[in-house]
Amino acid sequence: MTLSEEQNELLLRHLNGQLGPDEEARVADLLRDNVIARAFLRSVAEQAVVVADVERLDQHKPQPAKVVTPVFRPWKWAVAAAAAFVLLAAFVIATTPPRHTVKVSDILGPCQYIAADGKVRDEVKVGTVLRVGDTIRTRSSSAWVKLDLNGGSLMTIAGRSRLRLLNVDGRRGFQLAYGNLWATVAQSLKGKAVSIQTPTSTVETKSAQFDIEVHSTTSIVRVNSGLANVERLADGQTVDVATDHQVIVPISRNRKFAVIRQPKPVNEWSCRLIASSGAVFGKWLQPDEKNSVRLGATPLLIGKKNTIFVASFSVQCSSSPPVLIESGSRVRIRGTTRTEGPIYFGITTQRIKGAFFGKYTAKIETGALGQAGEPWQVEVPLSQFKPKTKHLPGSPAGMELTDIWIVSREENAELEIHSVKFLPREVGQ
Amino acid sequence: MSQRDLVSAAAWLVVRNAHTAEDIFQNVALKAMTKGVQFESVGALMSWAFITARREGIDWLRRQKNAPVCLDETILELLEQEWADETLGQAGGRSQALRDCLEDLPAKSRDLLKRRYFDEHACEAVAEQLGARLDAIYKRLSRLHQTLKKCIETKLEQQVG
Repeated sequence: MTLSEEQNELLLRHLNGQLGPDEEARVADLLRDNVIARAFLRSVAEQAVVVADVERLDQHKPQPAKVVTPVFRPWKWAVAAAAAFVLLAAFVIATTPPRHTVKVSDILGPCQYIAADGKVRDEVKVGTVLRVGDTIRTRSSSAWVKLDLNGGSLMTIAGRSRLRLLNVDGRRGFQLAYGNLWATVAQSLKGKAVSIQTPTSTVETKSAQFDIEVHSTTSIVRVNSGLANVERLADGQTVDVATDHQVIVPISRNRKFAVIRQPKPVNEWSCRLIASSGAVFGKWLQPDEKNSVRLGATPLLIGKKNTIFVASFSVQCSSSPPVLIESGSRVRIRGTTRTEGPIYFGITTQRIKGAFFGKYTAKIETGALGQAGEPWQVEVPLSQFKPKTKHLPGSPAGMELTDIWIVSREENAELEIHSVKFLPREVGQ
Repeated sequence: MSQRDLVSAAAWLVVRNAHTAEDIFQNVALKAMTKGVQFESVGALMSWAFITARREGIDWLRRQKNAPVCLDETILELLEQEWADETLGQAGGRSQALRDCLEDLPAKSRDLLKRRYFDEHACEAVAEQLGARLDAIYKRLSRLHQTLKKCIETKLEQQVG
């Protein structure tokens, strides 16, 4: 059921205040009986106030309350007192040292912004400025956010990550609760160090290019250039991590905490599912007759009424050396799905000894998965992976593999993964 | 829609002036704070806010000369009830979606909306300013409102999908 053009215009004429009594009666009847007419009128009212609000903001001249009759009302004193308080607060804020901010410079995929006052925004735009206390989350495996720290310093968080701006004395403080972060900290930040807290460590640097992968009980810090100081929170022990070095920071003080040189890259990776260290997102399932290792996809709410089911595998967490992506590389995955429907393979890439590069995905059609409920093995050549954004080259060859993830949109698919391999190009290719 | 936008919109339906509607919303917010009223739920708060805004709007109308004819209160109650139901549903993203849709509008369309709802010109005055017929202005406004409504729905669907 829709309204006719004539009915819409009748409602607009009513709002314009020019109708005679008969037409007003028609409007009243229409609104009493017709839910669509009421919805239209409500949407006009919403649009009218928002148009005025947007124009007010655009013109930088907030409209004062229009006083129609100059009658004294006590509450106006309350407004005046509140205004005075706001002015005083503004003065106090203006005279306290500025806290650091970062600006969102690029964004892809579902993200969430949680302001320091608890206000949540599910849509984040380029240009959004984050202040101390604000949090930004990238909510799905394929998402990323790039942040400009001013003065040539940059950060990227990607995958399922959560970053908050902290108030740390004399430093630009951050908290990476979980996920992946790549940072380039330039020396021009007026000598102020960047300090990143994770559940197990604090990483500080005045100038470095580095990346951090954070899970609840481990943080892995790799420094590609410059120098970073890393503190293990469990015992306060600190180490300096120099160019081409890395350190794993466990939550336990009984485990090794030592800086090592970054291993040389290899061109293949078999995720050690049995040791379980490479699987970073998913739930372990009981072994069955056919598979001793089964990782089930875990639901991930990436927006309102939008859930995907994900299993994710990290190269670094599996204790592998860095994995170089070549033009003929292939991803081979074994698993099962209980319903017919496509699944998606994704890879995260970064520059060798460098910053975040981008994400690539491949859609696996039902035909490639065989009969529902039966184990499948799918091998996807690198050429079938498509970049998530236009600015990325068609192939990530020459980059480093950060992680591999597998996604189903169907809960009933009960996606489970038994093996994840990244294979080199075939001999003779 | 945000609660602020909804209460302002409800007030606007009575007074048909966006600036006065904003004033009324501020009065309602002030009352809620200064009277220290406790509400058991968001629904109860919104119901109180709609009634208070409507009364303030009707009082304002009574003080005006040539005030527009106000809708019957039973109809206003129906509209408010539908708004209140929306508040409990997935209304949160609509305010931002509407703002985004406004940004996407061509300059000419946005100018028309500005003249009508920010500058508060009657449709006759807008027609005169733009050198257009009154009927044409109603048609353009009607289509613009429908376009924005559809745009919001599309953006919300995209967020969900």
